[in-house]
Amino acid sequence: MKDDLLFNLDHGYAEGLCRGFKSGILKAADYHNLVQCETLEDLRLHLQSTDYGNFLANEASPLTVNVIDDRLREKTVQEFQHLRNVSYEPLSTFLDYITYAYMIDNIILLITGTLHQRAIGDLLPRCHPLGSFEQLGAITVADTPAQLYTAVLVDTPLAPYFIDCISEHDLDELNVEIIRSTLYKAYLEDFYNFCKKLGGITAEVMCEILAFEADRRAFMITINSFDTGLTQDERAKLYPTCGHLHPDGLQELRRTDNYDAVRDVASRYPQYKILFEGSGTNSGDKTIEDKFFEHEVKLNMNAFLRQFHFGIFYAYLKLKEQENRNIIWIAECIAQKHRARIDNYIPIF
Amino acid sequence: MTNIFRSEEMTLCQLYLQPDAAYSCISELGELGIVQFRDLNPNVNAFQRKFVNEVRQCEEMERKIRFLESEIKSDEIPIQDSKEYPDAPKPREIIDLEAVLEKLDNDIKLINTNADALFKNFYQLTELKHNLAMTEGFFNDTSHPIVFDSADELTSGLINPNVSTGGSEMKFGFVSGVIPRERLIAFERMLWRVSRGNVVLKYSDIDELIEDPNTLTKIHKSVFVVFFQGEQLKNRIQKICEGFRANIYPCPDDPNERRNLTMNVMTRLEDLNIVLHQTQEHRRNLLLETARSIKIWKIKLTKIKAIYHTMNMFNNDVAKKCFIAECWAPNSQLELIRLSLAKGSEISGSGVGTSILYQMESQEKPPTYHNLNKFTQGFQNLVDAYGVATYREINPMPFVLITFPFLFAVMFGDAGHGLIVTAFALWMVLKENSLKDKWRNQEVWTIFFGGRYIILLMGIFSIYTGLIYNDVFSKSINIFGSSWRVGFDEKTLLKSDSVMLEPNPQPYNGTTTYKQMYSGNPYPLGLDPIWQLAENKITFTNSAKMKFAIIIGITQMSFGVILSLWNHIYFRHYYAVFLEFFPQLIFLMCIFFYLIILIFYKWTHFQAVDATTAPALLIHLINMMLMSYPANDSKTPQSSLTFYSSQKTVQQGLLFVALLCIPWLLVGKPVYTIIKNKNKNKHPPSLPNGVASNDIEMNVPSHHPEVDMSEVWVEQGIHTIEYFLGCISHTASYLRLWALSLAHAQLSEVLWHMVLQIGLSMNGIVGGIGIFIVFTVWSSLTVFILLLMEGLSAFLHALRLHWVEFQSKFYKGEGYPFVPFSFKTIFDELPPADA
Repeated sequence: MKDDLLFNLDHGYAEGLCRGFKSGILKAADYHNLVQCETLEDLRLHLQSTDYGNFLANEASPLTVNVIDDRLREKTVQEFQHLRNVSYEPLSTFLDYITYAYMIDNIILLITGTLHQRAIGDLLPRCHPLGSFEQLGAITVADTPAQLYTAVLVDTPLAPYFIDCISEHDLDELNVEIIRSTLYKAYLEDFYNFCKKLGGITAEVMCEILAFEADRRAFMITINSFDTGLTQDERAKLYPTCGHLHPDGLQELRRTDNYDAVRDVASRYPQYKILFEGSGTNSGDKTIEDKFFEHEVKLNMNAFLRQFHFGIFYAYLKLKEQENRNIIWIAECIAQKHRARIDNYIPIF
Repeated sequence: MTNIFRSEEMTLCQLYLQPDAAYSCISELGELGIVQFRDLNPNVNAFQRKFVNEVRQCEEMERKIRFLESEIKSDEIPIQDSKEYPDAPKPREIIDLEAVLEKLDNDIKLINTNADALFKNFYQLTELKHNLAMTEGFFNDTSHPIVFDSADELTSGLINPNVSTGGSEMKFGFVSGVIPRERLIAFERMLWRVSRGNVVLKYSDIDELIEDPNTLTKIHKSVFVVFFQGEQLKNRIQKICEGFRANIYPCPDDPNERRNLTMNVMTRLEDLNIVLHQTQEHRRNLLLETARSIKIWKIKLTKIKAIYHTMNMFNNDVAKKCFIAECWAPNSQLELIRLSLAKGSEISGSGVGTSILYQMESQEKPPTYHNLNKFTQGFQNLVDAYGVATYREINPMPFVLITFPFLFAVMFGDAGHGLIVTAFALWMVLKENSLKDKWRNQEVWTIFFGGRYIILLMGIFSIYTGLIYNDVFSKSINIFGSSWRVGFDEKTLLKSDSVMLEPNPQPYNGTTTYKQMYSGNPYPLGLDPIWQLAENKITFTNSAKMKFAIIIGITQMSFGVILSLWNHIYFRHYYAVFLEFFPQLIFLMCIFFYLIILIFYKWTHFQAVDATTAPALLIHLINMMLMSYPANDSKTPQSSLTFYSSQKTVQQGLLFVALLCIPWLLVGKPVYTIIKNKNKNKHPPSLPNGVASNDIEMNVPSHHPEVDMSEVWVEQGIHTIEYFLGCISHTASYLRLWALSLAHAQLSEVLWHMVLQIGLSMNGIVGGIGIFIVFTVWSSLTVFILLLMEGLSAFLHALRLHWVEFQSKFYKGEGYPFVPFSFKTIFDELPPADA
């Protein structure tokens, strides 16, 4: 109650802004119009009548999907950074936490890029601007995780997450994936605890979302690790332990070795049971990944039903990302004249 | 003439346009700006309309113009502002325009790419030049032993110990380059970590801002040299440099080679400079030429785009041979529209008379269009802010035009303040043309400027009421000479702090002889200045202002009710005249207008002699309501005595009539509706029987749907309660006229006494300086508190009195505004060019 009273003192402006941004998210009617577009020019014309306004007006024709992608991301990042700039503690720390996920992705992107002998100059522009930090460009110096830690990551907020993966092995494909998962696990757990410490509605909303995120990762790691030579124990180490699956579900996931077994584990949790039941592996069916996305969108939308908490900032960014994915999906379908699956976007409102 | 009081009569028209002539016809109509087009394809998406390609073409051209404009701005070339507004070009001219823009766009882009490459080269060379100049310094230092010592100290602990002894055997490699200054610290730390302390970094800041070759922006940069040992370390350092976007430049070991390189760089820089200069000159000439006509192109393009947007609303499905447009237009302008249509067809060369205007009958409510000028516009905005008038309803604007500034002035009454307001408004009005385009982004300014005529009238009226109240900066001015003389001798005056001026020809206590103090003729205009000195000034002005407020308020409300009569007659709601207008007016007259009569009666019939026995108006009104009439004996206080004989009978009669109005208003309309419904039900059987009549019968109710009676009752009940209670509360509400006027007068008096008086009472040089400071404080407080704050508050209260108390009597405000397709409004709404 006390938090509610004082919330607006520091965060009222940011919350208002965020809710304002949220109302710019495309509605079902907008999507309905977007999927009718014949060309990307039509898409641009229609987006002009939405909250996106003239964001594509200065692009020369012909428009490409890449340009749209860049502008979309630019706009989202601009909005998020504006929120970050007007925020106070502890909201600013909370917003920083959100960016850590992008930092992890960027690091992994650069390492895999250099493993494939790509020039760092080509890779850097592809990094997400929210996750960029000063030392990012110099990441190619490192050959082993230990070097990566001592040279690059030690100054970044990611340093504590990296402790578990310091080793002298060379960086290779599998290693990189393990690093990503380990970092993510540590990050999620830390973020979860941070939100829990904040308490109040923020904890209620964010813990729900993050718990789902953790479980989703556990499921995806399990499904993706079949036939990769990852042992069960190694796999178990990568499961984030802040989800609903912890501890029993994770134990069982550890022992599974095929998709049906994973489905059995999920069937004991009502919220995941529905998701697995609604998905299929046949073409035309929705994949489990899409179902997870849908569930995530639902959770994020629920965040907006409550007031005086930080969850909406996280939810806004995630919804906006989903929207960008939707627009890009539609744009790709239009550009490649592959209209059969154009309706496979995930509606938000 | 009636157009001042009502909105224009509108007709729904259909235009049949030849496809060839449509464009030029719409262009002509856009110049005219009196036609509002209706969207005939509301269900069609923006990108599925007929002229979407033309619109897109326009947008592409606009993009090019925006690009050219930004280029012109970056070179700081002034864009020539043309006062003329060219007509929309013909369709075939659009292609020419497109070609011109295309060529310019390409030219500029080509020049830019060339220039960018040259600049990149130039900046790289500049960095190299700085790099060489700075490293020269470092290497000169290396002859100094300290540097090597420090390097040795750093390395001695880690590498084999003989390094410190045999420093000359060591072969140090080095890398030099230029890095953005803010990344230097992180860079240094990273180097140290990666090499485990086995490098020495020397750096020095470049003093001026230099351009980065990659981003072509000006930033602070530093030159650095990294000394290291070994090939492997070199690789790593190079990678780090790359990651930190540091530009590495070669730097020869040998001093002679360095000198040669420096010379080389210098000559190349000079060559580049010449080439760059020429490129820039060429670009500038091109842009100068563009700047001359870019404004005209922009106007043309906006017009073309607007025309195509309008044409997208036309129907083309029914008859492929022509476009059908639907539009609202004022009746009085139809001839003009026909003329411009003919002109449009002529221009397009498809012959006169091919475009046809056809007036349609429509059930739909037409939009509200008032013919306004710049003077009335502001007042109409005040009214429209409450609600746009229902079609052809009485428009309160012409009355608000006078009553609004007047009510404002009643509250703001101070001639001095009024004078300042008037002067400010006069400045805005007289300088109208030059001020029009200034500060268009300043929201507060645009509000003031938009209401300049309102402010002017408010100022003038404030001067008038200020003179009536005899208030100039809270002081009175004695123009005509007061009607009062102090007739006491010195003895009396010295004895007492205050004396009483007697209007009566009676001896004042203490004196035996009577001296006439009142001249017998009142002060000619407003309040006698003698009141300024009186102790009971406030009591007196309060009583007067309160009565003014009541008189003004009731008069305005009655006027509002009378205006409703005009509406009833105009819309032929004759029943409403008897069932609504009469009970409302009679109620108002019986109670409140009677009060006004009593006020005037009291003013005129009670002299100074019987002032003490004058009955109180408030008590009388209350007694009238309660029907209590005290017995006329000595015990009754004199304030509740009757004004005149047979007062009781008259008042009881009035009250009875007033109370009669309540059920009259309450049941009148519902009963009328019931009777009307009955008549309608009775009517059909009188028609001859037959199939045809059945059809008619079927059709009749659909035009006049059966009204739900309970709804009518509830609505009328609410309306009745609202009106009668409203009369009372609204009358009380008008007392704000007195309250605000009192507050304003008191505030300005306090300001005078507490601030300016201090300054005026100081003497000597100190006093001179003091009055200067005090006057500053006083004048700024006057402007900010009394003019701005009080003015705003009086403005809002005046607005409320008009919206709630006045307009509720007759104004429905359920219309929607007429938005004609007009190039002029499109350009007015465009963001200012110098944004």
